[in-house]
Amino acid sequence: MDEQREATADDATPTSGSTCVVSESSVDEVAIVAASGVIDMLTAPQLEEALRAALDKKPASLVVDLTEVEFLASAGMGVLVAAHEEAGEITRLCVVAEGPATSRPLKLVGIADIVPLFATLEEAIASLRG
Amino acid sequence: MIDTMQSANVANAERFERVGISATAQTASQTRDEFAAWLRQFFALDPIRTSDLVLAINEALANCAEFAYLERPGTGTMDVLAWHDAAESTITVLVSDRGSWRPPVVPTIRTRGRGIPLMEALSDRASIEPSDHGTRVRLEWTDVARAVLGTQSAH
Repeated sequence: MDEQREATADDATPTSGSTCVVSESSVDEVAIVAASGVIDMLTAPQLEEALRAALDKKPASLVVDLTEVEFLASAGMGVLVAAHEEAGEITRLCVVAEGPATSRPLKLVGIADIVPLFATLEEAIASLRG
Repeated sequence: MIDTMQSANVANAERFERVGISATAQTASQTRDEFAAWLRQFFALDPIRTSDLVLAINEALANCAEFAYLERPGTGTMDVLAWHDAAESTITVLVSDRGSWRPPVVPTIRTRGRGIPLMEALSDRASIEPSDHGTRVRLEWTDVARAVLGTQSAH
C-alpha cells in the first residue's frame, strides 16, 4: 500500500491529506533533520527513515527540528522516542518544537522529560555546544 | 464515483458525522482534517483547544485504524459522531468500531501506546468502552461556545 502519497487523491478538499517533507542538513558538526507539515501514522515512517539514516552516520549530536510541523500525532512521538533510544550514548539527540500542535502534546505525555526539547533551533544548537 | 459515497456525511452547526468509513490511516487523516474544518467553521475555539480536539480525535481514529481489526482479514469500518450541546456548551465525540483493540489496549513498549494517554490529557473527559460489538471512545470538552455568525476565524 502506498500510504505516503495519494492519501486523499479522490478528495477535493484542499485541507485534506497528510504531507510531510523531511530534509537533512548540518550546522557546525550538528546534524539536523527538519520536518514540515503533518506527522501522523501515514507520514511518520518518512521521519523514522530520515532519523535512522542520520543516526547511522553516528554524529555527535542530532537536532530534530519540528518548527515547521503543523500536526504531530502519537505515531510521530513514538518515532522521536525510538530515535532517542537508538542515539544512546553515541549521539546527543534533541527536539526543537514550539506551539499548541507540537511542544504542547510532547509535554503533556511526558516526552519532553525523556527527550530534551527546545523552543528554537538556536537554543538547541547552543545547548549542544555547551 | 457514486459508489464511494459514504452512508452518512454530515457537518452542520450541531453535528459532524461520518458513518461506516474505512478504518485506514488514509481515512483517519482525511476525517481528522474534515473534523478540524468543522471546528473552525462553527466554534469559537482558541488555537490550543482546536489543536487539542483535532489531535485527540486523530488518536481515536488512529487506534481504530491500527488496532481494531487486526484479527480479521480486510478492512473494517469506523464511525465518528460529534455534537455540540449549546445548553451545556460541550462538544462530545464518539469514535466507534466493530473490532476489538487487542489486549492490552496500551502496548507497553515505550515508543508506542501514547494514543490513550494523549486522549485523556487533551480532553476534559475521556472514556474507552469495550463491548462485545466493538470499542467506543467517548471524548468530551466543556466550555465550547458556538462561533458568532460572521466572526468565526478565517480558515
